[in-house]
Amino acid sequence: MAEEATPTELITCTIDGMVLQVPKGTRIIDAAAQLGIDILHYCYHAALSAPAQCRMCLVEVEKAPKLMPACVTTVMDGNVIHTQSEKSLKSREGTLEFYLVNHPLDCPVCDQSGECKLQDYVAVEGRAMGRLAEPKRIIGRDDFGGDVLYEGDRCIMCTRCVRFMREVAQDERLGVVARGHRMAIDTFFEEGMEGNIWADNVVDICPVGALVSKDFLHKARSWDLDRTPSICPNCTQGCNVTLQVRDDEVMRLKPRPNEEVNSYWMCDYGRLNYSWINRGGRIEAPLVREGERLVPTSWSDALVRLSELAKGAAGGVSAVVSPFMSNEDLGAARRVIAALGGGEGVFRVERGEEIVLPGFPQLALREDRAANVHGAELLGFTRAGDDKGKGGLQNAAVHGGVVFVMGDELADAPADFGTGASLFIYVGHVLSPAARNAHFVLPATTFAEMEGSFTNVHHRVQRFWPALHVPAMARPAWQILGVLLAGVRGVDAPATPADAFSLLGELRAEYGELRFSDLGAQGRPLPRLGALAETMGD
Amino acid sequence: MAAKTRVMKRPERKSSYVRATLQGMALTFRHLVSTVTTGEAATIKTMQYPEEKWALSPRWRGTHIMEQHEDGRPKCVACGLCPTICPANCIRLVPGEDDMGNRYPIVYEIDEFRCIFCGMCQEVCPVEAIHVGNHYENGEYSRDNFVYDLDRLMKQTHPSTLLWDPSDPAGE
Repeated sequence: MAEEATPTELITCTIDGMVLQVPKGTRIIDAAAQLGIDILHYCYHAALSAPAQCRMCLVEVEKAPKLMPACVTTVMDGNVIHTQSEKSLKSREGTLEFYLVNHPLDCPVCDQSGECKLQDYVAVEGRAMGRLAEPKRIIGRDDFGGDVLYEGDRCIMCTRCVRFMREVAQDERLGVVARGHRMAIDTFFEEGMEGNIWADNVVDICPVGALVSKDFLHKARSWDLDRTPSICPNCTQGCNVTLQVRDDEVMRLKPRPNEEVNSYWMCDYGRLNYSWINRGGRIEAPLVREGERLVPTSWSDALVRLSELAKGAAGGVSAVVSPFMSNEDLGAARRVIAALGGGEGVFRVERGEEIVLPGFPQLALREDRAANVHGAELLGFTRAGDDKGKGGLQNAAVHGGVVFVMGDELADAPADFGTGASLFIYVGHVLSPAARNAHFVLPATTFAEMEGSFTNVHHRVQRFWPALHVPAMARPAWQILGVLLAGVRGVDAPATPADAFSLLGELRAEYGELRFSDLGAQGRPLPRLGALAETMGD
Repeated sequence: MAAKTRVMKRPERKSSYVRATLQGMALTFRHLVSTVTTGEAATIKTMQYPEEKWALSPRWRGTHIMEQHEDGRPKCVACGLCPTICPANCIRLVPGEDDMGNRYPIVYEIDEFRCIFCGMCQEVCPVEAIHVGNHYENGEYSRDNFVYDLDRLMKQTHPSTLLWDPSDPAGE
């Protein structure tokens, strides 16, 4: 902190003929990155210490006696640095050849293939043919426990995984064993990586296919995956993630760097808890009750009939919403509740133990295991039910006025849930037995199929983008409810998620001070509230 | 995975084949007579198919063959390059892992009806498992039967295509 207060001294250097001013103490690799020069590296990682042991980032610095590792050498005033000189190119070519001495070249069966740094660098700067005549050494495969599998032969000993466990997870479970060409990464005890929920991050930072995820093993080729920026929906931390999708199915979640939220990391609970996003059996068309039956109909028919009935609604609203729904959905729900005579709204959320990442304490697996609990609370919904996300439905179940359910599956609701209601509206994803009591069943999209935003534990509003196709006729809930409100009150329906977001300002002034388009891929803290949460965090 | 098709209804009156049949018979008869009248009987142009067959170029590309190891396992390691490169999108592959820890194809299907026989699958294969074949006789009673699964691909007996000279693989 004290360093930041003093004005930093700027120094001038030249990298590949481009002149650059950087603060004193900047590493060559970071200075080069500012110029858009990618210095090849394996052991260096922005969030870890740099041991300068992979020897890939060697660059030529004029007047220095030998090549300097760019990941630890700081820029000196007047340095003239060449990253593409003959000397440094030759050095890197030699280094890569040594890496391939014992590398099995099993790219066809390797999960990292396509996103492998060894593959990339050898293709760019390596030799076309190997010169090794001797047989390669074989270490084989080791199950590290948890979700992590170690393929020893592919390892290039960058030790990023060892340093991650030591410095960030602060739970030293990995170490380097043996020496020379028999060197390998290994666990110390029988338990291995089992029980550490940050273990899968070593798979992300492994530049080659030495550490692979058992969950993803052989599942998809990296070039077949479509990558969509999103937010992890599994706890209130709201880690920035990429949904990696093939054939309209989420194959895996990978963290997306965001220094304010999750740095480069995410927990295994969030990472591996994605199968519910792919679940089939969704409601595909709006259903309207006719006598004992639910009859599929068109959106215009369903919403016209619903808004006619809603105009005469009496007895107040009892609402149950889901904290997996976006800010826009929850805001629209709040406005619908007000239009139908006002009433209470609850949400239910599963809770668990909070687990902090010691090396980056802003990041934790939070107690509330749903992304938008804080958004729901800000928009006036209250918590109900127990720590398993069950119960708390007693008021809504017997309510005589309007029962409004959005997103909640009602899996544990009594069979006669909502049967006494004058109007029971269900906006959701799957048709559980209790939802079949509804007068109107309206299919909504999940966060993975729509554009929208979540509010995280630090009151940071973060956007997500659609990754999957919408099942049949389903629509985002804010759109459904916006059209419904247009029918009930004669106001304009929001046309885009940005419109729906701007309407949140009427419910909660803090949202009004943010613009949807300004949120960007990294999100913005809510004014006042966001700042408050951050100072409390300190 | 066979291609979906719709059978068109043809007008029955306009599709008589009697005239075309008579034309063909007339042509056959003319040739029969001409061999006698012009004395060309020694140079018969008809090939005695199917007893006799055309000699194919070694580069002829026909229906596929999957090579196998001596123990009967397919050579394929399910790397996913052939479905990626296939311009006709006719290869379906589901990778898995066997008891030995080897990656292998749980499902490997080629829709030979969709295939355009470009041979890129053979060219791209890193383990020389999938090959196009030196073969041209394909007949089935349904389109579904043209979807060759792994078993059928391994049972093919015809020779595989030589896309390059084995003594000079780089073409130098």
